[in-house]
Amino acid sequence: MFKLKVTDAKLLRDMATAISILVDEATFKIEPDGLKLRAMDPSRVAMIDFEWPKTIFEEYVCNEPTKMCINISELLKLLKRASKDEAVELSLDDKTGRLQVKITGKYSRDFTMPTLEASEEEVPTPKIAFNVKAKTTTQGLSQAIEDAQLVSDHVRIEADPEKLVLNAAGDLMGATITLQKGNDALLELEAKEGSKATFSLSYLAEIIKAASATSDIATLEFSTDMPIRIDFQQQKEGKLTFFLAPRIETD
Amino acid sequence: MQEPDKLTVLTNPKLTEAKTAIEKALLQKRTIIVAGNCHVHYSGRARSTLELGERLLIIKEDGALLVHRPVGYEPVNWQPAGSVFHVQTKENKLEVHGVRQKPRESVLVTFNQIYMVSALSLNDSGDFLLHATEDDMHRAILMKPELFEEGFKPISWEKKVEPGFVDIYGEDKDGKLVIIEVKRKTATKEAALQLAKYIEPIKAKINRELRGVLVAPSLGKDVQRILATMGLEFKELDPKKCAEVLKKTKNAKLETFFGEDSQ
Repeated sequence: MFKLKVTDAKLLRDMATAISILVDEATFKIEPDGLKLRAMDPSRVAMIDFEWPKTIFEEYVCNEPTKMCINISELLKLLKRASKDEAVELSLDDKTGRLQVKITGKYSRDFTMPTLEASEEEVPTPKIAFNVKAKTTTQGLSQAIEDAQLVSDHVRIEADPEKLVLNAAGDLMGATITLQKGNDALLELEAKEGSKATFSLSYLAEIIKAASATSDIATLEFSTDMPIRIDFQQQKEGKLTFFLAPRIETD
Repeated sequence: MQEPDKLTVLTNPKLTEAKTAIEKALLQKRTIIVAGNCHVHYSGRARSTLELGERLLIIKEDGALLVHRPVGYEPVNWQPAGSVFHVQTKENKLEVHGVRQKPRESVLVTFNQIYMVSALSLNDSGDFLLHATEDDMHRAILMKPELFEEGFKPISWEKKVEPGFVDIYGEDKDGKLVIIEVKRKTATKEAALQLAKYIEPIKAKINRELRGVLVAPSLGKDVQRILATMGLEFKELDPKKCAEVLKKTKNAKLETFFGEDSQ
């Protein structure tokens, strides 16, 4: 038996959006204390690690741990039908294996959708000793990424104890975006040693855009030529973290 | 999860055995080849039906689907990576259904007989090496203008100039305007004439010294003379040299970083 309810559909919609940028079929772990999901995108370059404790929900019932796999973009389509202050209830029908999506507000809608075979894959967390930890406003980070996208499709992220620098080099144009200690967009910066790594801007842009609906503060952690970890502090409780593997030179 | 064998093959399996094997291989994201008698229905941007016949169905580990007939190099039906699959047996038939969400497209392969099912775990991290294309040569010159000549400053590339597009356009160290036409193979007479065609209308418009340069690994017979009579130049450039300039990067896989306490 699994059932959850939120009074504001936006919460669920933003969550589904953030997940949908990396995965099509999302296998949720439904546990008595909350909802979890950890998955890599099909090209296995990026990973999402997501947790929502049951306390965020108006109502949350889970008698025994189970897994539920759904097509997340299909769910998103349904959730988009709900306006901001409408309530959404998700429940899993144990008999039919279908997910029921009930939206109530000005009127009420009951959708059902199939669940898919749950993935057996256990995705571990990359083990990385991070040398840099930078806390930024999600908005500031998002704008810096948009700046870099004007000139290139990848960006080198560098940090020293004083500043976080995004360097993008295109065929003709280049961009250097500096977030100096004391700037409004950079809230905290710790750098044990100078570090730099290059990442795909399309991944970064999509991740940050989707996550920004749920978060005002983002924490970046990276080391030279290692994956970057971006944690988006959630407005309520919960965790939304992404890992993205770096671009590396080939011979 | 136990590491699957490199190769699993079933010959003349029952449809139910084939179903189990295909489902398992899909779950393990292996590359699957099925040979059998089937018909195929496609619906999406169009509709198509492929009547009963003996064919190969290939499902790759990224969810790409291909149906090959026994002849020709092209698949007759296909779906790109990221398709979602459903396998079921129905009235002595085995259905493999691949669905893609955006745009909504579906391929339904229905087998009434299966000769072989194989599931493979293939490792392939090799790069496909292709020596520089013309586009790579453009990019190399833009990134490292001294490949063309010392002091050259590119201004624009693929600039529209009636009657077409100029490959690269820039300024040399003396401030002369330079129009570059790039060829990745031996430059022919046609290439020289093409360059001349671009130069003329620009010459008519601007009151500035103009150089037209054909960049290629070598010149065809007699082309040097044609260039000279039209007041154009030739600059030798090897595409391989251009390829070296272009730093090739690729995205690392996240798995590389699991488990190791890397530093």
